[in-house]
Amino acid sequence: MSTLRASARWIRADLRARRGQALLTVLAVAGIVTALITSATLLEDGTNPWRGLFTESRGAHVWIHTRDAPDVAALSRLQGVVRVAGPYRAAPVMLTTDGRKSPVTLRGMEARLPAVAVPLVRQGRWLRAGDGEGVVVERSFARALDLRIGAPFTVTALNGATHPLTVVGLADTADQGFYPESTPGLAWTLTTTLDRIEPALGRSESVTGLRLADGEDTLPVAHGAVTMLGGQIQRMSTWREVRAAMELDNRLLGLLLALFGVAGLVAAALAIANAAGGRVLGQTRDLATLKSLGYTRGQIFGLLMAEHGALGLIGIALGLLCGQLAASAALGGMSILPLSPVPLLAITAGTAAVVLVAVALPAWRGGRIAPLPSAPTAPPRGHLSRLARLALLVRLPPALVLGTRDAFTRRVPALLSIFGLAVPMMMITIGLGCWATLDDFLRHPEQVGQAAALTVRPDKLPAEDAARLARADPEVAAVYPGSEVSALEPEQTRSVLARALGTSAEPYPFSVVEGRMFAARGEAVAGQGLLDLMGAKIGDRVRMTVGGTPLIVHIVGRVVEPEQDGEVLSLGMDSLAAKDAVPPQFYSLVLRPGADPVAVRARLLAASGEALEVQRVVNPAERLAVIRGVIVALVVVLSLLGLANLLTASALGLRDHALDLAVLKAMGLTPRQVAATLVTGTGLLVVLGVVTGTAAGASLVGGLIDLQGHSSGVGAGIGRTPSALTLIVAVLAATGAALLVALIPARRAARARVPVTAR
Amino acid sequence: MSPPPVVHAVNLVKIYQNGGVPVPAVRGVDLRVEAGQFVAITGPSGSGKSTLVHMLGGLDTRTSGEIWLDGKRADTLGESAWALLRRQKIGFVFQFFNLVANMTVADNVELPALLAGASAREARERREHLLGELGLTDRADASPAQLAGGEQQRVALARALANRPSLLLADEPTGNLDSRNTRDVLRLLGEVHRDGQTVILVTHDARVASLADRVVSLLDGEIVDDGFIGATRRRPRGTAGDVVELRG
Repeated sequence: MSTLRASARWIRADLRARRGQALLTVLAVAGIVTALITSATLLEDGTNPWRGLFTESRGAHVWIHTRDAPDVAALSRLQGVVRVAGPYRAAPVMLTTDGRKSPVTLRGMEARLPAVAVPLVRQGRWLRAGDGEGVVVERSFARALDLRIGAPFTVTALNGATHPLTVVGLADTADQGFYPESTPGLAWTLTTTLDRIEPALGRSESVTGLRLADGEDTLPVAHGAVTMLGGQIQRMSTWREVRAAMELDNRLLGLLLALFGVAGLVAAALAIANAAGGRVLGQTRDLATLKSLGYTRGQIFGLLMAEHGALGLIGIALGLLCGQLAASAALGGMSILPLSPVPLLAITAGTAAVVLVAVALPAWRGGRIAPLPSAPTAPPRGHLSRLARLALLVRLPPALVLGTRDAFTRRVPALLSIFGLAVPMMMITIGLGCWATLDDFLRHPEQVGQAAALTVRPDKLPAEDAARLARADPEVAAVYPGSEVSALEPEQTRSVLARALGTSAEPYPFSVVEGRMFAARGEAVAGQGLLDLMGAKIGDRVRMTVGGTPLIVHIVGRVVEPEQDGEVLSLGMDSLAAKDAVPPQFYSLVLRPGADPVAVRARLLAASGEALEVQRVVNPAERLAVIRGVIVALVVVLSLLGLANLLTASALGLRDHALDLAVLKAMGLTPRQVAATLVTGTGLLVVLGVVTGTAAGASLVGGLIDLQGHSSGVGAGIGRTPSALTLIVAVLAATGAALLVALIPARRAARARVPVTAR
Repeated sequence: MSPPPVVHAVNLVKIYQNGGVPVPAVRGVDLRVEAGQFVAITGPSGSGKSTLVHMLGGLDTRTSGEIWLDGKRADTLGESAWALLRRQKIGFVFQFFNLVANMTVADNVELPALLAGASAREARERREHLLGELGLTDRADASPAQLAGGEQQRVALARALANRPSLLLADEPTGNLDSRNTRDVLRLLGEVHRDGQTVILVTHDARVASLADRVVSLLDGEIVDDGFIGATRRRPRGTAGDVVELRG
């Protein structure tokens, strides 16, 4: 107890003397924790907007669609039901915008918002009494159709009558998934408006939501409702389906962050251990003095743990805060829920443990310092290292030889410094590899199985006309007919996507990375996800039900498959039964090199008089664009870590050679040469660390990305190593920046008057 | 019964191991210092005088022999128990001052008091008093690096006295000072001693030693001479021509 005040004084004074280094430690730890928290949030599904929307809107767990309004009182008596939403009357209508027709469900609501399953108005306002023409549109649907507040919303009822409405608000909901994954679109009007548009009760349905005390009770409640309502039920949906529909592709990002976070944690531990160790070495005399004043070994240990550990803990606290912000920023401000307590606690405790362990060793060494304040702490002095002798042999300038000698006077700290720089550099290289891979996705979409830039659906035109129109376009290189049907895998438990595209004679240019392309009827290629799902390998013959027709599929190759977690079977149109293949559902258009998909799309729409539906293929890299931001942020954090290590190495080198400086000057070295000696000592470690790290990163990155590709179902064969030029620039930039940083204290030391006293 | 001696060393031996070769530094020293004495330990370089006081303060371990402080045996104590003992009973002054570089003068002086469990207010009052006595009141907020050598040593003295130790150990306190500062520091030591402080001072300088009541001479780790200087013969402001009289 009694040492607390004294220790507090010491810590305060010491931190004041090394503000920069302390700040660096805090920032580095904060950065790592931010990455870990963000990654855990992404991996934990906290970014699935469903969670946030469901909580915010107090959503209903079960939605029951019935012909007529059910007995609400009976439903609310079901075990586990807390509240009932509705029943609301809902009618299917057809929305016409810009000549395009989209099915919409109009749901009749009151001007007062309900207590549960509340539509969350994000723009505009909710319906008001007397808002006869007003409609509030679900936001993702509105975005897809480019509907804004005040836009006309002209709907055609089943009886053919057209009603002009106006959009007054845009709202989020957890009642159904986002458009277009979930169709039809959803819009809310007043019940009076709905009655006017669709007066026939028989052509509408009744929608009732049940909010449960515990989401896990969904199944028994659903069974209860089925028993109670029997044949009245037309369909039912539960929160699980809605959540699945809203799932985003955040896993990859989360994994990337986790990888960076964990490796960064190792780097941070090294940086902290280096910084604390260097500080303890530099303070040997002060610590010995403290002992002579009556500090015990344990108290010195506690003091150092408190000081260096506290920096780490402040960093963790800051990181926890930043992690929340970063996770929401990574998703463009979409509402997310904070991380649940278990992973949060695990990250906090884990990082704290790593920090404390990293500090413990130097602190323990500090505690063991003899209380004799005059005890020598000079580095072991020995003969020239082999490197220095080599430097001498090749007649390098004396400053370089001396610097080379100095670099390794303390072996362990020197190796720690090299390692401490190599780890961040390795991670930076891996980050650059991810960047290169994304670039490659965009530049060569055909290598990720996206040779076609546009998909044309005939819609109202006959399929032959659509194909003819597409072929007529000057910038279309090839047109492949395609159909998608569901296929049941052998155990018949799960359906996967079977995509017929091109024919066996003229197959679509899939990116085959293993085996060969299908070339005959009955042959197919599969994504990694499908191979894993079926436990099949290339060359296997699998019995499947494709589009309802039994078919023995000979899997002859594996393709890079970014869709559907790789659970896609690709085959020729001639392998499908005629009912599925004729006419083709769509045509995939491979454009000529350099063609602009947007321009081609516009031309095709114009040529067909808007009759065709032409869609751009979304490149997976576009969905992963946020990764680039993450990579930049991580490079910054890792650079901070490298900088922290560098400062330690440079301070230690300076301290170890402070006495030599006087000798060097006496021998006739100019201040510039003295500075060069010091910079060489640090610079050698930097170059070794940076080159090692870059080499390790470059050799790992392809494999790591492929590993991730394999586990995510896309399949190996996508990983790219950053180009040689990028690597060289990265190495030069890192080394150059490091030398500049090392130069400042070296110049100051070289110019300072060096006291020739004992330490 | 008379009070026990502040320090009582019995057949104290210290042997360093230098690459497997035993190097005796202190060879069987018997020393008894009564409360209020001012003892100077002198001897040429390597005679073991610093090792002796380091052992007396627990900064270094003995090889054999006994150390009694205030009538309690101390040589069998562990490192931590020694640290606690130092906190309460022993003040150290070193040749190179050993002020904590990052802390201000005030913090340096308050540190031992805080360590011994004094409240911040008590520590501040004691520090103000000590710095006032030593004429350093206006330097309280300076950092040690801003002080001259003599000032630094005065601060170190204030720090050593912060806990009113029963024993003040000074290891070559003037070894790194010019003559004027040496005089100042010695005058202060003399004043402290006159207030009843027991002082053991290590020096290789006969003039400095002449300030003490009693001079113990070491040579090759053994006491070769131990004598009291008569009060009338003591000349604090001695000159180079002074002869130190020793009584066997």
